[in-house]
Amino acid sequence: MKRRARRARGKRSAAMSRIPRSRFRVLDLVTESLAGLFARPGRSLLTALGAVLGIAALVATLGVANTAGNQIVSTFDELSATSVVLTTDQGFSGANTRIALPWDSEQRLTRLNGVVAAGSMADVGLGNALVRSVPIIDPLGQTEFQIPMIAASPGIYPASRGKLTTGRWYDHGHSERADRVAVLGSAAAQRLNITRVDQQPVVFVGDVSFVVVGILAQVERQPELLSAIIVPEGTAREIYKLKSPSTVQIRTEVGAASLIAAQGPIAVAPDDPSTVRVQAPPEAEDLRAEVQENVNALFLILGGVSLLVGGIGIANVTLVSVLERVSEIGLRRALGAGRRHIAYQFLLESTGVGLFGGMVGTSLGVLTVVAVSAARTWTPVLNPAIPVAAPLLGAAVGLLAGLYPALRASLFEPVDSLRASAN
Amino acid sequence: MSEPLIRLEGVGRTFRSGEVEVNALREADLAIDRGDYLSIMGPSGSGKSTLLNITALLDRHTSGTYRFEGRDVGRLSEGERTGLRAHRIGFVFQAFHLLTHRTVLENVVLSMLYGSVPRSDRKARAAGALERVGLSDRAGFLPSRLSGGERQRVAIARAIVTRPPILLCDEPTGSLDSTTSRSILELFEELRSDGLTIVVVTHDQMVSSRAERTIAMHDGRVTQDTRA
Ligand SMILES: Nc1ncnc2c1ncn2[C@@H]1O[C@H](COP(=O)(O)OP(=O)(O)O)[C@@H](O)[C@H]1O
Ligand SMILES: [Mg+2]
Repeated sequence: MKRRARRARGKRSAAMSRIPRSRFRVLDLVTESLAGLFARPGRSLLTALGAVLGIAALVATLGVANTAGNQIVSTFDELSATSVVLTTDQGFSGANTRIALPWDSEQRLTRLNGVVAAGSMADVGLGNALVRSVPIIDPLGQTEFQIPMIAASPGIYPASRGKLTTGRWYDHGHSERADRVAVLGSAAAQRLNITRVDQQPVVFVGDVSFVVVGILAQVERQPELLSAIIVPEGTAREIYKLKSPSTVQIRTEVGAASLIAAQGPIAVAPDDPSTVRVQAPPEAEDLRAEVQENVNALFLILGGVSLLVGGIGIANVTLVSVLERVSEIGLRRALGAGRRHIAYQFLLESTGVGLFGGMVGTSLGVLTVVAVSAARTWTPVLNPAIPVAAPLLGAAVGLLAGLYPALRASLFEPVDSLRASAN
Repeated sequence: MSEPLIRLEGVGRTFRSGEVEVNALREADLAIDRGDYLSIMGPSGSGKSTLLNITALLDRHTSGTYRFEGRDVGRLSEGERTGLRAHRIGFVFQAFHLLTHRTVLENVVLSMLYGSVPRSDRKARAAGALERVGLSDRAGFLPSRLSGGERQRVAIARAIVTRPPILLCDEPTGSLDSTTSRSILELFEELRSDGLTIVVVTHDQMVSSRAERTIAMHDGRVTQDTRA
């Protein structure tokens, strides 16, 4: 239909020379819009203020949230995010359904990709046996203590991120031979008054003597090790008839925790992995997202509201400017501007104001992020898309804000607008 | 037979505002040939501006037929009317309508913005038009520094710079004193001798006496058409 109409018109204009259409070249459009903005620079700046504040609030919010989230996650990553603990289910199902962790849990787990270290452990029931560091009971002072005993595989040392004050950790050889060696937790060593191991001190647990080979200064996981006397599993099996480990501490590579949390139970209990209880950290990404969501939700609303207010401001001033320039609009129409050309000009002016406001706002926002980070000695983190996207968002707000004023401007009839200002 | 530049046949314009109807122009018949120098006289409210605005394609007639360069204006699209305004019509207002923030030269360049003159030619064309109206030395001035007569000359330069066949002026001397008015009329005569068709709306006897042909209007009707 439309095409036929155009062809008919084409025929008519072949008989009569064609009417050249009016046009508005892009370059002219840009110069005219800029001229319009620079004609009232003070007002243009004021108009941009709304967009400046809105965009600055948004960028600062996103940046600070980004930075804070990153900060929390990076400290978090170091510790919890690399720890997975397996325990046998000690729930309500009763002792008979409870499965035992195998003695070779450590070996099975360290075979998994993403495991840095693993160590199994279990409390050893000592009954009433007390621990002392001297063979003879001294009636004058307390020399016997109730100290818990933990049987642990050698891997517990790296898996718990332990540090020794002195001496060494026992190895698999000690465990296989059921050697009577022990490592003392720092608290236990203090109570037993043992500070050095070079003289091969001996502790007595009831009647059984153990040679102390090392003193554990600190751990980052399983802190109960610090107050215990730690012996090889093989030794505990032979002397105390220990049935099985009850806990496995795994240290994973960063980012592998959730994988190991899924694979670990299968590795230690292939027949019934569901009976193994897993303590794994929340996913680092989830945590980061969660932190940012919380911060963002509040401030994004704030930024959004200021941007909305800014947009309304731009719309208002642009409308006022349209109404003030009615005669200019009439003149342009009389000189051959089409409705579209008038609309484009005002749209580009409001978009320009929005873009300018967006650029200034982005700079202010980034400065805010840097300042906040500096004050808290954080590393400022900003999604690189933001400095690009934020000014564009400002431009988009300006464009939207200009729609109604531009429409109004384009609807003026040339005669009316010229008369409106004739006097 | 040669088609006149402008031909109005029974052209009328009715304004409606609510219940009230104003017949600002009734059954106007008028032909303007190329090279005519025509004045339109009549008391205030007689429909002179309405007639001129319709002729300049700034307003639409509500009855009759208007042909511009042979084309039936009533059947033109909005885009075609706009195109004709940009390329084929020069208009001069009583109130000058210069942009106050732009220089004289920029004001003249403005009227080439929507037409076909390439960007690179515009300054030279504008300078030429300013020279034609005797304002070469004012090109860089802001309008606020010009006298009324000079402002109207700028407006005339702006109207002729696109080289339209016709110049339509609504009370061009209405805001000027008689000496200044006379110099504007001299300019019209020069332009006319270049072949430009000129229509001047006025209620000043002195202005209309300079034209070759005078149309008298009364209450929306053309009542007289005399050639000097
Ligand atoms: N937009 C309009 N709406 C209503 N009446 C109008 C409008 N424009 C002009 N008129 C009326 O039409 C008549 C002619 O107006 P106009 O052509 O401006 O007269 P002149 O220019 O001769 O003084 C006047 O009575 C005027 O009030
Ligand atoms: Mg009038």
